[in-house]
Amino acid sequence: MYPWSSSSYSGQAPNSVDARTMPNGLDDQEKLLAEAVGAARKQAFQMNHFLDKERMLDALKCASTMLSELRTSLLSPKSYYELYMAVTNELCHMEIYLSEKSNKETDLYELVQYSHTIVPRLYLLITVGIVYIKNDSTLKRSILKDLVEMCRGVQHPLRGLFLRNYLLQCTRNILPDVLVADNEHEGNVYDAIDFVLTNFAEMNKLWVRMQHQGHSSEKTRREKEREELKILVGTNLVRLSQLESATLETYQRLILPGILEQVVSCRDAIAQEYLMECIIQVFPDEFHLQTLDPFLKSCAQLETGVNVKNIIISLIERLAAYNQRSGKSSGNAIDAIIPAEVELFEVFSVQVANIVQTRMDMPLEDTISLQVALLSLAQKVYPDRVDYVDKVLGTTAQILQRMNMNNISHLLSVNQELSRLLRICIDFYNNALTIIQLHNFCPLLETFDYTSRKSLALYLVMNILENETTVSTADQADSLLTIITPLIKDDETLTNKDNPLGGGSGSNSTDAEEFAEEQGVVARFIHLLRSDEPDMQYKMLQTARKHLGNGGGQRLKHVLPPLVFAAYQLAFKYKAIAEQDENWDKKCQKIIQYCHSTISALAKADLPDLALRLYLQGALVIGEIRYTNHETVAYEFMTQAFSLYEDEISDSKAQLAAITLIMSTFEQMSCFGEENAEPLRTNCALAASKLLKKPDQCRGVVACASLFWSGKKNGEEMRDEKRTLDCLKKGARIASQCLDAGVQVQLYVELLNHYLFYFERGNSLITVAMLNQLIAKVNEELPNLEPSEETKQIESHYKNTIAHLRSRMESNDANLEVSFAGITLN
Amino acid sequence: MLVLVLGDLHIPHRCSSLPAKFKKLLVPGRIHHILATGNICTKESYDYLKSLANDVHIVRGDFDENLSYPEQKVVTVGQFRIGLCHGHQVVPRGDPEALSLIQRQLDVDILITGHTYKFEAYEHGNKFYINPGSATGAFNPLDTNVVPSFVLMDIQSTTVVTYVYQLIGDEVKVERIEYKKI
Repeated sequence: MYPWSSSSYSGQAPNSVDARTMPNGLDDQEKLLAEAVGAARKQAFQMNHFLDKERMLDALKCASTMLSELRTSLLSPKSYYELYMAVTNELCHMEIYLSEKSNKETDLYELVQYSHTIVPRLYLLITVGIVYIKNDSTLKRSILKDLVEMCRGVQHPLRGLFLRNYLLQCTRNILPDVLVADNEHEGNVYDAIDFVLTNFAEMNKLWVRMQHQGHSSEKTRREKEREELKILVGTNLVRLSQLESATLETYQRLILPGILEQVVSCRDAIAQEYLMECIIQVFPDEFHLQTLDPFLKSCAQLETGVNVKNIIISLIERLAAYNQRSGKSSGNAIDAIIPAEVELFEVFSVQVANIVQTRMDMPLEDTISLQVALLSLAQKVYPDRVDYVDKVLGTTAQILQRMNMNNISHLLSVNQELSRLLRICIDFYNNALTIIQLHNFCPLLETFDYTSRKSLALYLVMNILENETTVSTADQADSLLTIITPLIKDDETLTNKDNPLGGGSGSNSTDAEEFAEEQGVVARFIHLLRSDEPDMQYKMLQTARKHLGNGGGQRLKHVLPPLVFAAYQLAFKYKAIAEQDENWDKKCQKIIQYCHSTISALAKADLPDLALRLYLQGALVIGEIRYTNHETVAYEFMTQAFSLYEDEISDSKAQLAAITLIMSTFEQMSCFGEENAEPLRTNCALAASKLLKKPDQCRGVVACASLFWSGKKNGEEMRDEKRTLDCLKKGARIASQCLDAGVQVQLYVELLNHYLFYFERGNSLITVAMLNQLIAKVNEELPNLEPSEETKQIESHYKNTIAHLRSRMESNDANLEVSFAGITLN
Repeated sequence: MLVLVLGDLHIPHRCSSLPAKFKKLLVPGRIHHILATGNICTKESYDYLKSLANDVHIVRGDFDENLSYPEQKVVTVGQFRIGLCHGHQVVPRGDPEALSLIQRQLDVDILITGHTYKFEAYEHGNKFYINPGSATGAFNPLDTNVVPSFVLMDIQSTTVVTYVYQLIGDEVKVERIEYKKI
């Protein structure tokens, strides 16, 4: 039970620093200890010899001499302990002997008092006293009282502590533990309490006094020695907790006040910190629950050096664990475990506030740690009481306000504790909607600097995504978007010059990547704004738009497209409930307007490619929904896409991609009357033929053919054979202008495939002769190409095309609309 | 050899994440190759795919910003040449004949495309065509009932067994389709 009684202690390597600061080096210690133990053994041998011969007086003399070894001042606590163990072991023989023979020697208690020096005298007195008590329990009360008083005679800390420890060890099984004794001289539990409390008070005084002995330069060593001895003092408390007759009432009235009085009045930080912790650990939780007030009040009175935070946190954790443990074993609802009359949270809340107020020296981060402990108490014991959690946050905000703390840097340790406080809230509920019910969450968040506000915002959004928390009202959306403002907007307190993300763009690639990731998280969150009520959904989208609109182009790119797509989906929802909502038509118009303005914001933010794609998606949506006026609006969306294509997209690759998309979108749309369709078609054809590079032109124009074939005219496929063929012919003409032979052949093979496509679909203007002409052209040019990877690809493309043709020619399929007769393959 | 085929995620444009039930099925270490039809959209989604298998092939969808993704790609797995193309370039959208133009150009045994948000797997002219649909069931103006789906191909010498996973209601349904190379 002693820290150094285990092998780990004795096995420790000698520490050179210790060796230098100790008056006697470690070697000296070993030598001194060996000498002392040797001398004691010698006397013990003699003592046992005399005991065997029943020469009591001689035996006592030897015992006294042996015990005199304990008078030394030269040994360190560790060595002294070893000597003490060796000596008290021997003393046991004496005790056993006396217990057997005591009837004959009744005057021993007086006799041992003749020992020359006090230390041996008292050890012997205790030994004899115990024997007396064992033989005659009616002596118990008076002897115990006598012994605990007599021990005052040794005031040297080390010797006194061990002497009283011996007293405590010897009496451990004989302390009176009954409420009312048969014979009042046997004593009752109150005598036991009195005995241990007195012993405790005296030991504590000796222990504290160690601090004030010797030179101030040896303070560290002394503190280490005291640390080694603390358990001797703590044993008193253990003994008190083992008294079975001591009820809660006794604990409240006698034991705790007795301990606390000593703890507070000793005014020693080491003692206070250890003993408070000791109280928490040795006494049962049921007692703590009923004595929170006096305990916590004493905490407020402790010395400045005491880490009160740890004491309180330790108590809170114990009680919270007790609550959960009992809750589990009894199977009751959690709040039924802690008696209702114990307002655990209230008491802690008041007392913690009291401590914070009286202990001005406590570092701010410790104050916040206390709030963290309080918060976890509220959550563990009263999981439903959101108001308790909110109260803790409120108190914390007030503390910060009183100290005029704001813009708290993410580099401060206070900030780490505060962040912990808020993260615990987020983790505990795993529901952002509960977080917005905490009125003090935001004010507290506002005391942070931008960086930490942002990282908490990110933490919250990640939590929302992980738990798929659905936000279903505009007010909730508003609150959440307000909390995550740092993700949505740049830091307004910084000028653009100082801000690495000025205008929202990353200054280097890691920053940019991180930035994109953050914005991606916000964008994903938008999809969780989801109400079954379409009107509410619209309100949420408007709220989100208001919040997200001011983040700068780099943010808009990420966060606006989700809004647009959510709005498109909402339009479909209105369409689906058209029969229940007579205003669906007007509402769709509004939604589409919303999309239009959102997309144009993207276009203005220099994101033409993205805006163009969103316009095209919009045109498809409008065409499908078919509300009043939809044709005009769809046309507007298409022309917006066209203007972006013409004015903003300059890269030739991007141009080809854009015009192909415009055409493939338009090809699917059937909502246009000819008045609107014709200009769009013509413009597509024109735009395709104006592409910069010839191969692009060729492919663009050929793609355009589909507009005249499967593109819609008054809702039907157009099947304009002539204009389809015109596109193909134009493509062929452009191909012939290509100077690069490889590219040219490649284009011819592609053209052949397209000619075939329309031929098979029944365009009667495409003749076998035309196909033959293309085949001949390829047959002529292909062998001249220089061998290369590209050439190989063209060859296999052509080979596959011919194989396809051949299979068609050989096919007996009656469904084939056209005749392949007359095609020359070689 | 297990090949995961998926695409048109549109995260974060159109959805917040892959369906949880899909994520549970997609565990690292079992899949050898990933063929993505595009509209992966973000680096996070790409990193996610990378966490499932080291060998990831992606072609560019109409909403992919990453310019380094090619428009088309050919990947050889076992004895199969597999072509990959998002399909927004194909007019009319998803038309088998129009798709076969690409199959001939790429000279592949299997052509994988997306863009229609609708799972399909069929043989056409002795070639195999797969469209894994949209793994997130992303919104599509032309089809308001998109079923989230992806495809797993088990390729053994000249046979490919295709498993399609579809999230119908709240349940994952699996279908099996076999294709043999002649």
